[in-house]
Amino acid sequence: MPSPAHPQTSPGVEVADITVNSLPARDVKAPRRIGRRASLAIGAYGLLLPSLVGLALFTYAPVAQVVWDSVHARRAPGTAPSFAGLANYHAILADAAFRKAAINNLYYALGTIIPSLVIALGLALALARSDRINNLLRAAFFMPVLVPLVAAASLFLFIFLPNVGLIDFYIGRFLAQPPNWLGDPDVALYSIMVLTVWKNAGYYMLFFLAGLQAVPDEAYEVAYLEGATSWQRLWHVTLPYLQPTTGFVTVIALINVVTQVDHVFVLTKGGPSDSTNLLLFYVYQQAVESYDIGKAAAGTLVSLAVLVGVTAVSLGTLERAFGGRP
Amino acid sequence: MPLSRRTFLAALAAAGVVTSAPSRAQPSTEIELFFPVPVDGQLARDMTSMIKEFSDTHPGIKATAVFTGSYDETLIKTRAAMKAGKPPAAVIMSANFVLDLKIENELTNLDALIKADGLTNDKFMNQFFPALHANAVIDRSVYAVPFHNSTPLLYVNADHFKEAGLDPDKLPQTWDELTAAAIKLTKREGDKVTRWGLMIPSNYDYLGWMMSALTMCNGGRYYNEEFGGEVYYDTPTMLGALTFWNELIGKHKVHPAGEQKGPAVSTAFLSGNTSMMLLSTGSLTHVRTNAKFPYKVAFVPKNVRNAVPIGGASLIIPAGVDGERQKAAWVLIKWMTSPDKNGWWSRATGYFAPNIAAYEAPEMKEFLGKNPDAKVGVDQLSVAKPWFATYKTVPVRKALEDEVQAVLAGKKQPKEALVAAQKAADEILKPYVDQTALKLPGM
Amino acid sequence: MTPSRRHSTLPLATRREIVPRIGYGLVLVAAVLWLVPILWMLVASVRPQSFGGPGMASLIPDAQPTSRNFIDAWEAADFPRYYLNSAIIVAGILAVQLVTITLAGYAFARVAFPGRQWLFYVFLLQLMLVPVVLIVPNLSMVARIGLYDTLLGVMAPYFASAFGTFLMRQAFASIPRELEDAALVDGASVLQRIRHIYVPLALPAFLAFAVVSVTAHWNEFLWPLMVINSPDKRPLTVGLAAFTRGQEGAQSWGVIAAGTLLVIAPLLLLFLLFQRRFINSFVTSGIK
Repeated sequence: MPSPAHPQTSPGVEVADITVNSLPARDVKAPRRIGRRASLAIGAYGLLLPSLVGLALFTYAPVAQVVWDSVHARRAPGTAPSFAGLANYHAILADAAFRKAAINNLYYALGTIIPSLVIALGLALALARSDRINNLLRAAFFMPVLVPLVAAASLFLFIFLPNVGLIDFYIGRFLAQPPNWLGDPDVALYSIMVLTVWKNAGYYMLFFLAGLQAVPDEAYEVAYLEGATSWQRLWHVTLPYLQPTTGFVTVIALINVVTQVDHVFVLTKGGPSDSTNLLLFYVYQQAVESYDIGKAAAGTLVSLAVLVGVTAVSLGTLERAFGGRP
Repeated sequence: MPLSRRTFLAALAAAGVVTSAPSRAQPSTEIELFFPVPVDGQLARDMTSMIKEFSDTHPGIKATAVFTGSYDETLIKTRAAMKAGKPPAAVIMSANFVLDLKIENELTNLDALIKADGLTNDKFMNQFFPALHANAVIDRSVYAVPFHNSTPLLYVNADHFKEAGLDPDKLPQTWDELTAAAIKLTKREGDKVTRWGLMIPSNYDYLGWMMSALTMCNGGRYYNEEFGGEVYYDTPTMLGALTFWNELIGKHKVHPAGEQKGPAVSTAFLSGNTSMMLLSTGSLTHVRTNAKFPYKVAFVPKNVRNAVPIGGASLIIPAGVDGERQKAAWVLIKWMTSPDKNGWWSRATGYFAPNIAAYEAPEMKEFLGKNPDAKVGVDQLSVAKPWFATYKTVPVRKALEDEVQAVLAGKKQPKEALVAAQKAADEILKPYVDQTALKLPGM
Repeated sequence: MTPSRRHSTLPLATRREIVPRIGYGLVLVAAVLWLVPILWMLVASVRPQSFGGPGMASLIPDAQPTSRNFIDAWEAADFPRYYLNSAIIVAGILAVQLVTITLAGYAFARVAFPGRQWLFYVFLLQLMLVPVVLIVPNLSMVARIGLYDTLLGVMAPYFASAFGTFLMRQAFASIPRELEDAALVDGASVLQRIRHIYVPLALPAFLAFAVVSVTAHWNEFLWPLMVINSPDKRPLTVGLAAFTRGQEGAQSWGVIAAGTLLVIAPLLLLFLLFQRRFINSFVTSGIK
């Protein structure tokens, strides 16, 4: 059975076959190689055209703008930008706030991706069977996804409110002096992580649920008959079949970690003392508060580079780790 | 087979087109006003009805009120719209962004419009309280018209005062009295504080304002009102203010540690969790509506003198708005800042009416009679000073706030924090200073 | 055509064992924790003291619930109109996305064209750009096409979806090629093969995507705020923000809770009604 992990290694069927087969026999020989590759490309790009148009207008054009902005800077306040080479990049790397944001983002990534994925996978495994209770439970975990971040942040502002808020109301009485959840620089980032995990775990669970359906029963039966324990079945059967899903969810989680900053925006604005500043919130600050478009653009490209790099690495690693299936 | 994509898109386009181009009988200038929500969601509705009234009473101008989120979001939207070639005709902008916008050449100079009305700049501005002039007039040109303003105020829970043996009619007027009162009002159960004596907000933006207030009460200035390139962080006056605040937390333990957000402070006050708070007059209506206990307000206590910064918003016309639209925008601005409308908005929101004549109106006098707490705020205007506005106001302010937040969280000492803040701020101001004060002949 | 799912007790029993009883208990506790914020919102929305009195955080409903908060929230904005706008935006975006992601997903999963891997990462770029950086260029583009202050302008940047393409690529890749080969022998064209083989088999993925897309665009705030000026074209989130953006320290928690409920109510209803169908369909259509 072809492995979902390596779609490109199977020869597969190609779009051009029909066109080629309908050519008269004597013309098939010479143009076949060139014609085939070209028609493949044309066919593929035809399918991709609608997406490419949309992306060109609203993604690539802005990216071009961002690249242009990142190598221009304003010499003096109130003047037009002029070419500045890599000056913006030097400036942000030298900026302590940027470095702090980068480190925060790293902690934030580790502190949200791992718990979210583990919880999501665990929940999907536990709730894989569809009965009434499980359906209700799935709905419970998915609910946070339905709440707009604007409102979720207000909700959590109340939850974290000192003394009167939900946490302090119920748990605060047991603590000597409950920490200032969003106001203590040592604690604030963890509070933000909690909000993120709450919001995203159910979302990732959905994808794992979908992916779990792809695991064929026969594989489990075989493993069971061979005497594998539940953990072994998990490791050797379930996880390999989940590789495409895990790859997908990991990439999405990584991207979210870097690009979802709305809650920081509403709850802490990067504070206190920059302790919850994240890369793209830093970019926002440069763009809006500092009105330094050059630095904002440079920051965006740096984050972009990091994301693309990490995505490529993680997809590759996952494919290698779990790609080989029975 | 469901609708083909093309049909669907066409239908959507029709929906978009139909709702965006209402048919109109007579030609009129269409202008839009971008406004952020100042205090309470209900005010968005008030603003919409006010603008509708304007359109109804001014045939030939159709004004639309466009809600644009927070002050930050309003700034983003205004700038994005300008870049896209569709600047709004008028915007309600935070009063301390005006200098920044002017330096970036994003404002229309209002001098010509004032002159066309037959007035001089001074005559025009004199209808507004003096404290508001500095944030509206730059290099002797008028760039903004004050719309609504606020100052910090001391709010006090009268019941708690009586309970602690203090006289609610003799509110603290100096830092000494404030500290003494706070100590008496703080309640503890063992080591845990169950009721704080005083709370002051310290989230980004509010913190800068409060530091400004405390420093001014200590005799100082936050920044150079006449030149946007200097701030005075590492000064004895600010050091005294920060040390005072720090001691309330660490030494007297009457104020909670760490950053306190505005909503946290007001909620704590209303729920009886703190006996006193320093908060904007803009929250007065909210407190009045929701407090289930008698409360009182007073000037911000002084150490050296009574002085407070103003806050609030002004009306501006972005650059690139010309001709009929500019004229229509000016008519709107004048109407909104007239004594009558200004007074009405003030009573609805709890913000001050910047127009002095608004306080002569009988409705206003009656209102102040019924609500003496509002009168205290107006009285404090006589000692109010401009809101800090510099080149790159927000980062310069943040440079201070990050350091102060570290002090409030017990991670730094006041002096080292202010030295670091000054250094960071000077670095941010350098490009501007190099272009102005340090740009000398022969360089 | 669809091989039936093997119904044996063995797989289900083995699946149960992966998560022993203690694990299931943990899940129940976790579910309760997860729901606490929403529970609070429900309780707070009918609580009389909307400003935050001492009992504000209590999860126990008050003796005399009030509908005041809902009335305040409802009156503050033209909710029916906003619902309609949000619905149009969400439906319009999804309709176009379903087409673009299917075509593009197929291309990436099944067509070995030159530059495929590289182009895939280029696609993913869309996911990695944060809105604030895109706002100014996108707004200029939207204005240039003449869609400023229209609902279509809000929808346009999302017609191409890298997320959906990525999801479809993964989903299509796991469909056995034999099925397509069979259809090819019968002379089916690309579009026919996509429509008759891939789409039905990838239904769970489509449904998952639909859920994600609808939710994301129903709840989107910043971009519609930028594009739309006319009050009658505002979506729900912008209307809601009018409450939640208390500037100088005042928050009416009860009204915020009520307003939030009004915004998410349709989504919640749809989800509760259809989630069984949605997620069940994952199960029943799993022939892989």
